[in-house]
Amino acid sequence: MRNEIILKVYRFDPTSGKPPTYKRYSVPITERETVLDALLYVKEHQDATLSLRFSCRMAVCGSCGMLIDGLPRLACYTQISELDTDEIEVRPMSNYPIVRDLVVDMSGFFEKHRSVMPWLIRRDVREQNQPTKQYLQSDEQLLEYLQFSYCIKCGLCYAACPVVTAMDEFLGPQALAQLYRYIRDSRDEGATERLKSAGEFNGVWRCHFAGSCSQVCPKGVDPALAIQLLRRRTLFMK
Amino acid sequence: MRERTLMIMHYLTGLGILVSGTIHVYVVFLTVPANLTAWESTLSFDGFQFAILPVYRNLALALSLEILLICTTYHGLNGLRIILYELFQGRSARTYVKYALFAIGALLLIYGTRTIIIAHSIGGP
Amino acid sequence: MIITSIRRTSRQNLSKVLTTMLVPSRYTIERWSYTLQRVSGVVVMLYFVAHVIETGYVVGGPGVWYVPPYEVAQRSWETVKASLKDPVFDVGLGIIGLLVTFHTINGVRLTLTHFGYTLKRPHRPEFPYEVRSFTNFQRGLFWLSISFAVFSMIYALDTLLGVFRA
Repeated sequence: MRNEIILKVYRFDPTSGKPPTYKRYSVPITERETVLDALLYVKEHQDATLSLRFSCRMAVCGSCGMLIDGLPRLACYTQISELDTDEIEVRPMSNYPIVRDLVVDMSGFFEKHRSVMPWLIRRDVREQNQPTKQYLQSDEQLLEYLQFSYCIKCGLCYAACPVVTAMDEFLGPQALAQLYRYIRDSRDEGATERLKSAGEFNGVWRCHFAGSCSQVCPKGVDPALAIQLLRRRTLFMK
Repeated sequence: MRERTLMIMHYLTGLGILVSGTIHVYVVFLTVPANLTAWESTLSFDGFQFAILPVYRNLALALSLEILLICTTYHGLNGLRIILYELFQGRSARTYVKYALFAIGALLLIYGTRTIIIAHSIGGP
Repeated sequence: MIITSIRRTSRQNLSKVLTTMLVPSRYTIERWSYTLQRVSGVVVMLYFVAHVIETGYVVGGPGVWYVPPYEVAQRSWETVKASLKDPVFDVGLGIIGLLVTFHTINGVRLTLTHFGYTLKRPHRPEFPYEVRSFTNFQRGLFWLSISFAVFSMIYALDTLLGVFRA
């Protein structure tokens, strides 16, 4: 058990006009400490200018995604002991514009999420606004999409996807998984419209099943599985 | 054409290559016992048991070669299109990529078909 | 849906893109399959173009658009054969055999997985989360494609050069 580790943190201030640098901080650690704890120790005791985004510290809010040792992970969800190194490299997530230090601009990611219409579409809009009955659903119908609705929009899959790195227009694993989640929802009636948009050039066909999204997902959503099942639906158009 | 059609064709032509390519490799390679003299006889122009060119006097095999040509041209160029769409973005870039690859495909198809027709029609001595 | 208002999520940097495409370190074998499928596909496509041009010369070159007489065809055949006599081309053909076999069998695997076959059904996620799409079956197919590819390269080199023959 180590008592101390080195944090190698990416520092970038766009207002200073200087290129990004790495700064090393020596942090005392205890057992069961996460990378987020270490980063907050740095912010409290060593360098208050370090910027990072975090909130819940328990892998629910999904705001502390960063590249830890080269792989997108939630800082609050990554034990220092599981990394098993003396020097941990912390960088902002790839595939996003960097705002400052470890903070990235996720507006493009959220815009793509919004563009797949992540809400229930009903033919009778008036009835949807003033519902007269419950939308009942069986357990089997629930299991078809439940896994994909566990998404916390942390954006790790988007940072891991090799297609997103190359192609900014690609919707990304998160948005396509949500697209599938709403297609499979038995209460939803917009499947035809959704499948049509999934079949565009920046949609489901750009996925090549590299599986990186599922590898890094902290909630077991498995976006790769959702996209492959979505592709089958897009093939048969139903 | 729509992206969905193009990509479904990608899988179908892949299947076509699997069948016609197996025939092609079988005709060229596997009829050859694994020794050097037989490979030499495969590459000989005519007259030997395993010579490759006279095989294509058979219309069915020449047609399977044509199918292989069509499928590989489509499958390969569509694969390149997928990569180039990722590297060059924007509507105009996509149009350029599409037409450039279409031109290359047309050239490959015309030239390859000519070769197959000639190989099919070269008679005996 | 075409998103026009989207901000560029990353500065378009070719070297970064190519590194992401070609160096899948720290990721699972699905990512390796993606890289290898791409690389093998591009190389095989280059070979295919070269093969179409080369076989074109076998029957007389791009100037010939009629069926040549038997002796003329035989002469051009022998010329092309003599120019391709170098064992470098035979080794290259062995590597093409490796890439084609890998691309074929991995392509069958990808066709199956791309439409959700060989993957497990969605379920209720419980900790520790199991990735439902990383099934042993599709991973086994990947390793099968690797082993078949190596075997076919050995077979091709044996046939072309006789190097593995005792």
